[in-house]
Amino acid sequence: MIVYIIKRIGMMIPTLIIISMVSFVIIQLPPGDYLTSYAANLRQEGDMVDTDELEMLAERYGLGQPIYVQYWKWVSGIILRGDWGQSMEWRKPVKDLIWERMALTVFLSLISILVSWFVAIPVGVFSATHQYSMPDYLFSALSFIGAGTPGFMIALVIMWIAMRQFGLNVGGLFSREYMVEPWSLAKFVDLMKHVWMPVVVIALGSTAGSIRTTRANVLDELQRPYVETARAKGLRERKLIWKYPVRVAMNPFFSTVGWTLASLISGQTLVAVVLSLQTTGPMMLRALTSQDMYLAGSFLLLLSTLTVLGTLISDILLAWVDPRIRMGS
Amino acid sequence: MNRRHKLTRRQFLQISALATAGAVATACGPKAPTEVEEPATEPEADKPAPTAKPEEPEATKFNEAPMLAALVASGDLLSVDERLPLNPYVCAVAEMTGNYGGTIRRGFKGVSDRWGPTKHIDRSLVWYDQDLVLQPRILESWEVSSDAKTYTMKLRKGMKWSDGSDFTAANFMWFYNYHVKNEEISPSVWGPYSTRDEEGNKVLCGLETPDDYTVVLKFVHPNPMFMYSATRSNNGFYSPGEFMAQYHQELVEDKDALQAAVDKAGFGSWTELYGDRNWWYLDKERPQVYPWLAKNSLAEELFIMERNPYYFAVDPDGNQLPYLDTVSHRLFESPEVFNLWIVNGEVDFQNRHVALDNFTLFKESEESGDYKVFVGNSAGHQALQLNLATKDDQLREFFNDRNVRIGISYAMNRSEMNELVYNGMLTPRQYSPLELSPNFYPKLSDAYIAYDVAKANQHLDDAGYTEKDAEGFRTFKDGTSLSFIIEGTAETGTAGEDAAQLVVKYLADVGIKATYKYFERSLYTEHFNANEIEGAWWGGDRTVVPLAPGAPIFRGTMVDRPWAAGYGLWFNSNGTDPNGVEPPAGHFIWDIWDIWAKISVEPDPDKQNSLFEEILDIWAEEIPMVGLLGASPALIIVKNGFRNYLPGMPIDDTTGDEHLLQTESYFWENPEEHMG
Repeated sequence: MIVYIIKRIGMMIPTLIIISMVSFVIIQLPPGDYLTSYAANLRQEGDMVDTDELEMLAERYGLGQPIYVQYWKWVSGIILRGDWGQSMEWRKPVKDLIWERMALTVFLSLISILVSWFVAIPVGVFSATHQYSMPDYLFSALSFIGAGTPGFMIALVIMWIAMRQFGLNVGGLFSREYMVEPWSLAKFVDLMKHVWMPVVVIALGSTAGSIRTTRANVLDELQRPYVETARAKGLRERKLIWKYPVRVAMNPFFSTVGWTLASLISGQTLVAVVLSLQTTGPMMLRALTSQDMYLAGSFLLLLSTLTVLGTLISDILLAWVDPRIRMGS
Repeated sequence: MNRRHKLTRRQFLQISALATAGAVATACGPKAPTEVEEPATEPEADKPAPTAKPEEPEATKFNEAPMLAALVASGDLLSVDERLPLNPYVCAVAEMTGNYGGTIRRGFKGVSDRWGPTKHIDRSLVWYDQDLVLQPRILESWEVSSDAKTYTMKLRKGMKWSDGSDFTAANFMWFYNYHVKNEEISPSVWGPYSTRDEEGNKVLCGLETPDDYTVVLKFVHPNPMFMYSATRSNNGFYSPGEFMAQYHQELVEDKDALQAAVDKAGFGSWTELYGDRNWWYLDKERPQVYPWLAKNSLAEELFIMERNPYYFAVDPDGNQLPYLDTVSHRLFESPEVFNLWIVNGEVDFQNRHVALDNFTLFKESEESGDYKVFVGNSAGHQALQLNLATKDDQLREFFNDRNVRIGISYAMNRSEMNELVYNGMLTPRQYSPLELSPNFYPKLSDAYIAYDVAKANQHLDDAGYTEKDAEGFRTFKDGTSLSFIIEGTAETGTAGEDAAQLVVKYLADVGIKATYKYFERSLYTEHFNANEIEGAWWGGDRTVVPLAPGAPIFRGTMVDRPWAAGYGLWFNSNGTDPNGVEPPAGHFIWDIWDIWAKISVEPDPDKQNSLFEEILDIWAEEIPMVGLLGASPALIIVKNGFRNYLPGMPIDDTTGDEHLLQTESYFWENPEEHMG
């Protein structure tokens, strides 16, 4: 097992290097660079842009240099000095920007994931054990609607209802008076008052999917001979279901930990944009569209690192949870 | 159009009714106005003189906001007379003298949207009055020599920075010496202080300060347009040198400490740190002269600006401005949330980001949201640009035929497009100065705008494009097939795309084959910068005071409106841009450039305008770009009780969008209800 883990970690390093190169190239692929969009923005606002000045800025940001020079400048900064570069748009070091928003993002994603699992697993198991019953049809219908409706649409509808019917203040995670305040108990309470809306929206979509997966997997397992045997031996139905088929049916949750880690940061970007949440998703989207390359590149690198790491964790978890899995020889 | 007029009149009546009521209720006690030198609007003569006036311990010449009076009383602040210049800027009020206090709430999209807050507060040397004529603002007065080379500018004695230090000619000198002349900070000559020599190179002007309150600019060449470039500061003209010196390599004593600060902030060089600290919204320690000062950083979710106790302006009654205590900008990521804020009454005064498409939504929520939608005049136009310098020889010949452009103009069914796409809110017109502009020219706005397919076909036939292919489309003169691509950044499903598709249909109706293609903004930019563009569906603005930004669209030098992309690139780069194309001899664009050359050395504004009319004549004759619709309404959300802004104002970048009417004079009728 330990050898396996070490081997896997050894494989991660070249993977990450390749990913970082590919992501850096992809960022540079669209025509133009940050300065093009910056200049377009200036022009739109009526400022005349000097060609001389743009050339100077290009030199300052090293935009005129060949791509491998730019790449090395960036990567060596990260490895040697922990310096992720400077965001051109925000005029701040990338690491400050990302960490600023990270806590809130992870907090929000974790709550949503927990809420969604908390609802999805019991409902999925119930649906499977009561297949083709009235409640099963009801849950199935609901989860099809949930899975089929895009999150941002739900977000819009919920916002409109919250505002029109209940007169609530929508958008963001804080009330106006707490936005610029330092953290305090009152601010946390205020956060809890606002956080339900994004949690409901985000959890709704993923709950629906998870219910379907759980239901299908448990159903598969219920047909297995070992269930029959256990029943024949007189094991109580409740204990039987939760101890054996459900445990096996959990496999997909563990194998998706790989994406879950990354989606902690980038997950639900659209919903976050619509709800105006100050999380990392909208910032990453904006960095990509404005070609703020160090910020965008750092996000991509971070996400892929988390995915690779997550895949490793999920493999280990699976091996641990499911004794049927053997380490390859 | 009728609709707009009706609306405006109704709003006007409401406003006047409120104005009378409000004037009676005004509680602010004015003292005798100080020497009102301001040539702008006179204070309303028929306003009843308020009687109640709060008693102050010491009688001062000017009045101030209660929140500042409290600070003065506790000894933390100088008295208002000491804070104001001897001869403060007397700011015209659009409706009446206001009340002190309160907050207004606006929305913004983050650091890249700094223009919203910036336009709200930026104060420079001069500004427009309601008739769009330039008036002194920071300056007390200015004079131009008859050759338009020397500008003598007088400052206001006793004017102060927000930290209480004196604002003098030395601040202009510091900016000139250490910012403009420092080659690391300004590798190219700073735009407003430059003129161009015969070779097109930029030449720096001279700057002298004969005394503390006089600044003399000496340009090498005539520069009659200089004052237009001084309507916004863009961090220029003057600088709080004593403060900025700590970030300036030349001036700082401990150079290692500066380098350490640069490294700590993660910058590559001291100029980046200097530039960063120089922005009012990033460094709240930096002294300013603006009516409101940044209280926190623009990179936060709620950006708050609070009154500047040293702001140099008073209203006609001698009350120090601004009236509003604070201005706040709240971050939104998507327009939906912003729209919800509006209809929920959480936006107090804003045009920026308020989309015309949602007129109905905003209008129907006026009552529940407790606001009014004011209708202003947008400078934008919807227009078809045919690249007269396009690379394909046959296509270029086609576009350059005046009969072709006129035929195409006749082929456009402007009122149908207006009704189908824009709910009839726009006006059929060529790209031209707006009706409220000093340069309004009906001969151009109405040129060839009738919808007449017969005439269109006649002009196209006259141009010699009579041959048609099997599908009925006109061919080039040699019989090869003729078609071109109209590029645009309007995505599928937007009004802009619907309009572009109509243009394609109208062209097909007269036998011209064209297709509309959506391009992402940066790809579009690449295309026009490489003169790789055939046609474009794009707008045209800067039509309120077209001379102020140098009429770049009329000259074809603003290449993102690519009616002559290659020619514009050639002109802008002095012929060095490899994608630039020198216009052929005798091309009308040469005449436009020649006339502009005369305007740019003509000191007399009236003569500038009459010369500009010659350019408009060429436009009316040649139709360089085929304008379809313009004079679009612009929506301004104005919370009930918010005063001193009027409907019907121009909304254009040049005139500060919704901030033309002096933001410092905006106020609440009932400030106590707008404190948070």
